[in-house]
Order: sequence, then C-alpha cells, then structure tokens
Amino acid sequence: MPEKPPDFLIVQLARIGDLIQTKRLLLSLEREGRVHLALDAGLAELAGLVFPRAVLHPIRAHAGGRNPAEVLAVNAGAFAGLAEMNFKAIYNLNRNPLALALAGMFPPESVVGYRLEQGQALSSTWCKMAGRWSGAGRRLSSPLNLTDFWAWFHPDPLAPTLVNPAARAKNVVETTPGKGGQRLGVVLAGREPRRSLPPEYLARVVEALFAARKGPEILLLGSRDEQAGARKLSKYLDGRVLQKVRDLSGKTSLPDFYEVVGSLDLMLTPDTGGMHLAAHLGVPVVAFFLSSALAWETGPYGLGHTVWQSVRRGCSPCLETEPCPYKTACLPPFAAPGWLTVLSGRAGAALPGGDPALLGLESCFDDIGVDYRVFLGEASALPQARRCQKRRLLREFLRRPGQPGKSGGPAGIDEAVINEVISEADWMLREY
Amino acid sequence: MMTRILAVLPFYGGSLPVGRHCARALRDIGCLVEVFEAPEFYGAFQALKGLKVNGGRLEFLENSYLNLVGEAVLAQVERFQPDLVLALAQAPLSRKTLKRLKHDGVPTAMWFVEDYRLFAYWRAFAPFYDLFAVIQKEPFLGELAAQGVENALYLPMAALPELYRPLRGGANCQAGECGPADALSPAERRDFGADLSFMGAGYPNRRLAFRELGRELAGRDFRIWGTEWEGEPLLEPHLRMKGVRITPEQSVRIFNAAKINLNLHSSVKAEETVSRGDFVNPRTFEVAACGAFQLVDERLLLPEMFEPDELATFSSLDDLKAKVDYYLAHPAERAALAARGRARVLREHTYQARLRRLLDFAAERLPGWPRSRQAAPWPAGLPESLTSELEALAEKLQLPRLGWGPAGGTGFDTLIAALRQHSGRLSGLESALLFLDEWKKQYIK
Repeated sequence: MPEKPPDFLIVQLARIGDLIQTKRLLLSLEREGRVHLALDAGLAELAGLVFPRAVLHPIRAHAGGRNPAEVLAVNAGAFAGLAEMNFKAIYNLNRNPLALALAGMFPPESVVGYRLEQGQALSSTWCKMAGRWSGAGRRLSSPLNLTDFWAWFHPDPLAPTLVNPAARAKNVVETTPGKGGQRLGVVLAGREPRRSLPPEYLARVVEALFAARKGPEILLLGSRDEQAGARKLSKYLDGRVLQKVRDLSGKTSLPDFYEVVGSLDLMLTPDTGGMHLAAHLGVPVVAFFLSSALAWETGPYGLGHTVWQSVRRGCSPCLETEPCPYKTACLPPFAAPGWLTVLSGRAGAALPGGDPALLGLESCFDDIGVDYRVFLGEASALPQARRCQKRRLLREFLRRPGQPGKSGGPAGIDEAVINEVISEADWMLREY
Repeated sequence: MMTRILAVLPFYGGSLPVGRHCARALRDIGCLVEVFEAPEFYGAFQALKGLKVNGGRLEFLENSYLNLVGEAVLAQVERFQPDLVLALAQAPLSRKTLKRLKHDGVPTAMWFVEDYRLFAYWRAFAPFYDLFAVIQKEPFLGELAAQGVENALYLPMAALPELYRPLRGGANCQAGECGPADALSPAERRDFGADLSFMGAGYPNRRLAFRELGRELAGRDFRIWGTEWEGEPLLEPHLRMKGVRITPEQSVRIFNAAKINLNLHSSVKAEETVSRGDFVNPRTFEVAACGAFQLVDERLLLPEMFEPDELATFSSLDDLKAKVDYYLAHPAERAALAARGRARVLREHTYQARLRRLLDFAAERLPGWPRSRQAAPWPAGLPESLTSELEALAEKLQLPRLGWGPAGGTGFDTLIAALRQHSGRLSGLESALLFLDEWKKQYIK
C-alpha cells in the first residue's frame, strides 16, 4: 500500500486579498500532500475557483449575518470536523484572535506561525521578525512581500516564478483610434478609502489609459458599496470615454467577478483583492499605491505588473483610522500632468519628485520572492540601500544567499539594519 | 455572576500551600479563581544570587526582577478582571503594584498567616490593602488600626478537608470514615507509623523540648519529620527522611499513621518550650481534619475553637510526658477525641468557611462589592443538540448549570473565563466558543 500523503491545514480567515496572497504557501504544500483551507465562508466560492485542489472548510468569521447562535452552531460543526482530522501541520497565518481561537484546538507543536499554547498567544521567530522589519517608521524599507512572508512558513517554498503566470493582455491594442479591442477593468475602491484615488483623480487616469489603449471597453468593478463611487466617476469622465463604460459595480457575484477579471486585458486598481485576483489570472495590473499601501509589502505578485507608488517620508506610520494630519499629501502626485502624460503613452514626461515623490515600479523576482524595481522617478526617495540590506539579511536567514554583489567581496550589514530585523531573544530563547 | 478571585501565591514557604488551599476552597464555594504562580518565577530570582556581585548591585537586580513580577501580576489582573486580588503572606505584590491596583479600582486582600511579632514588616504594606486578614487578635488588631488599616479581620487558620482526611488503616481511624481508595498501605503504616510523631521545622523551642522528650521517652517510637533539624545529634535517631521538606500529601499519611501527633507551636525563644502564644497553627486543624489524634500545647485562642473533649492539650513538658503515657494506654479515648475534633473542623474550621467569611467581610466593608457585571446572555436560538453539549462542558469545567434565562446559572462570559483557564488541547466546541467570544468583540458592540 502506498503511503497516504499528509494533510495540511492553512488557516486564513482574512479578506480576499490575503486569501489570494496565501497562494505561494498553498502551492508549496500541495507538492507534498493534500491542503485544507479554513477560510471565511463568504469567500468559499471564490476560493474554490482560485484553489481548485484545496479542501475548503468555510468558517463563519466575517461574512453572513450577525446572529451569534448561528455563528456558534455553524462553527461548532466545522471545528469538530477539523478536530477529527490528523493534520501533519497547521499553518496559522494571522495573529487575529479569531484565527488563534481556531488554532487552539490543535497540538501547539503542530501549529506553524501564530499559535495558542495554554491560552497564551505565541508567535514564531519568523513572525516576530516580520513584526520588527515592518514596524512603525520602518515600512519604507520593509523587505518582503506578504505572499513571500507566508510562503516562507515553509522551509523550501515553490519558486516565485511558478506562482502566477506572467501577466499579458489577451487582445492586442487596436491602432485605430476608437476601435479599442481591449478591455480595461477599473476597480473603484479598496477597503481603506484613503488608499484609493478620488473620482476626479481617477477620471483623469482612466482617460489617460483610454488614450494610450486607443479606446478600450471600460468595466467599472466593485461591490454594491461602490455604486455611488461609480456614478461620481462617470460624472467626471469625458463623453467619448463614457460611451465605452460598463458599470458592473454591485452587479457581480464573486464567481462572476472572477470571470470578468479573467477577461480583462488590463486592470487599473488601488491595493485590492481584485488586484491580487488579476495577478493570479495573469492579467496585467496598473496599480496606484498611496497612503499606507506599499508595493513591496502587498504589490501584485508576478511579472508584468506596474505600480505607481507615492512616497512621502515622515508619514510612517500612516494611520488610516485617524484623519491624516498632512491633508493626504501623498495624493496630489496622482494629478501631476507629467504622470498623466506618461500613462497616456507619450514619452519624455517627468514624474513629480521631491517629497512626496511618485515612483514607477515594475515587478521582478529574486531567489526569495517578488520585488519591485524603480523604472521611473527619483529612486532616491526610497531608502533602497537599507531595504537591500534587510533583504540580504533575510536571504541569509532563509539560507538563500543569492549572488554576490558587483564588487564580489564580502560586505557588512549596518548594525541599525540588523537591529530592525533580529532581536536578542531570537538567539537566546527557543522558538515560541 | 461568579465572583472572580485572583490568588497571588508567595514564591515559596509555609503560606504557599495555604494559598493553594485557598484557591481550591474558593472554587468550592462557587468563585471563578485564577492563581498567580509566583513559585514559577522563583528560579530566575534565585539565579541572581549566583552572580556573586556586590550587595548593592544584587539588590538592584532583585528589585528590578520584583518589579517585573509585579507587572506580570498586573497583566494577569488586566486580562482576568478579578473582583478581588487575594494575596498570601509574602506574595510578591510591591507597594507600587498595590497602588496601581487601587488606582485601577481592583480591591485587594491579604491573608497574613504569620505571627506579627516575628514578621514586623507588616507595617510596610498592610495599609495598602483594602482588606487585611490576620490570625491574631489583640493587640495586633489595635496596632493595625493605629497604622491606618481600616478593614482588618481576625481569620484563623483552617484545614482543607478534601486533602486532610482520614485514611483507612490509620492508627486512630474510625470505621466508616474513609473511602476504599483512601487507605494506608502496610508499607506506609511501617514507614510513617509511630507511637509519637512530630511533623514540622526545628525551631529553637522544639529542639530543646524534643531533646528532653527523647531522653524521657527512651524506648518509645518517637519520630520527627521536617526541615531545619541539622546539628542535633541527640535527635538524629528520631529524624526521618533525612530532614527533607514534607509534602502535604505525605503529612496526611504521617498524621494518620501516628498514634499520637505531637503539635508544639513554634517559638524563636528556646527557653519557652511551651510558649502559650495566641494564634493556632494550621497543623492543629489539619491533624484534627484527618481524624487523627494530637496533643497540642495550650494557646490563648484555642479554647474558642475547640472544646476540651474535642482536642487534648498540654500545658508543660511534664504534662506532655504524662499525657503521652496516658493516651498510648487508652486508644479508645484517643479515637473518640479525634472523631469529635474532626467533626468540629468540618463544621467550622475549613478553608471554605474561612473564605466565605472573608468574602462576606469584603461585601460588608467594600461599598458595592462585588461590582455587578453585565452578564452576557447565551445566544438565543441555539439548537438543542448544542445546548446539551454546552451543559456537558459546564459540568466538565465544574461550573453550575448554564443560565439560559436572565437570572442565575453560568453565563456565557463565565464559561469563557473558565475555558481560558483550561489547560490542554481544546475540543472543536471549546474552540468554537472562544472563536465566538472574539467574534462578538469584533462584531457585537
């Protein structure tokens, strides 16, 4: 009798974007056995499309009504089912109390990431390190994308190049103005409104891309909550553009949304779950990141994506729960004529520099995961050297030393950088 | 709602088992109890002494560590939200910690199970407690009042009957008193049995008394158990188990196996072999709770706790020697006294009774205590199969039946608090309950 492959459980109770960013870990585990995914019940249908081989365990976490009896009754059954399984390992990806309560029913030694031991929440050294390298005031030099952070819960994850297909448009750009031929999806808002462009800004961006793409069909995407935003955007759009707009906000179920995104040639979006879905499907993304959204933390995964990142030094941490004390100073660069010129495909324009600065980033890979290279704008706006050192340190920690530097000789790492990643307790105390 | 008590144990010492007995008894009388396990912090504290640094440096390090331990207590208070923090003598609650608790509106009590004449440091911390229970009366109660302690309570020692119990096969055991599982084995009767037995530390008055007793009682089987008996060659033949610390469970066996348990209260003054002090030690209640026989030295506060036909006392060493001879020759009288003594303990001198008194005192003296909590109701509309599972869970956690209506019974919050104390792997239902608790915090304001 061949040995039965092991079962693994991933606990990912967060929203759609995080669910999709679990992909590299999930695929890594699928090489070894059967992967179960405990997820919010509201995302189960979508997850079935994104992860067709995974065994799904829907949990009443966020979606659904607010009836506690129903939550307990449904979850007691689901949890009892999970408790009966003999998982080789449980990967709990979040410190969220809901996820910890779920992880609490497994032997702590079999839980990777965030575990509950005798009622005490504990984090692995890797998780604690991540808390330090992306802590307040350090996020501009944060070295690792979230997808890769979770992937490295596994000692030898799948190569980053194998996670998502390289992005490419399905249809060629028509050269005849007005003929279009392409389909452009515009995602109206993310969960955090300050991370999105207001309609008057977004309208100019859509028009610029409309011009560059020779008049594609434009699909407005979003939930029912975004319908008002769609109407506002339409008011700001030029008549020629408006003719090609189809407002799908609030009109698609998640499986419909999956299908629509798959049919796009380009997605224009802030940092959203839709963006990660596009990356999963190999749809090129043009993303605009501002406020607390940083490309190197949650940017689209894979080759062929572009992120326009607004960087304002001194803002970190950006607390979206409070009014911005700087009048959202990271927003105006997205109305700069130079940038709109670049978007519309005309060469020779310059991006806004100084502080805040706007940077054009394109996705790329190294041996530990995805990264973003500055292709336009003042690269000096970012603490690149610091970030590179942090990433180098992580590579050593992950035993992926990479290629030696151009000089070829050994180079030290700044003490301050080391302190932002490694704490004394890491080498003094046992894991957990 | 169940009253929530956080019992803060000392690092070590005689009041440590008292603290554990308190926690047990508080649970028995229906409180929700958590324990701050200070002994688990003691190893690191001891390690500081191994540094061999100069005194000032060591003191700094020790105080820093004590501060940390105090912060740990505060963290547990913050999470558990107790109605009362109950500290035992020598518990690691600094004045700074006590001030913080007062500032945060968390009532505190200490059960000072020490002789105030020997442990004069009480003045430094007693005024910082909301309630201060002691094992002595006047003049200590007057001294406390003069020091500004408003809520002092005389709360004598006691026994935990679930631990200190008669064992079948004991030297004075009454038929029908003990269950089939609770028996002294023949080996235990041999190892722990004696004509005359003493269990306790080698205080100066005891050393002197026992040297004399050892001479006078030559030929009797006299055994001594406990610590701090070094440097007594005359007593060496009587000392058992090489003078190691005796566990409470071992002491139950020693008390049961001895024909006579000698109970001589401690005194630091060697010349006061029988000191006639005021407080009554725990051993008095523990031996009696075992249904074992004891000869105890006369104490000022003893007569109000036991009648003469419930406990045999002695007033001097000569009296003791005479009574040893008498009672060894009259086993039926020993058994009758022991039985009456045990009955009195079970009626009045249990930890459960003492802690009930302490909580009543808290209710008398602390306005609005215990504060009423907004009891979180059980979600309406749970399927019947689930409610019966929840009832079974409450029973497993030794909680009262669930209260489905507006009044009485174990509420959702109480079950969750009990579940959070539960050690070991959680079941699916237990995890789902903790999950629901977190879910409610997130979605039901």
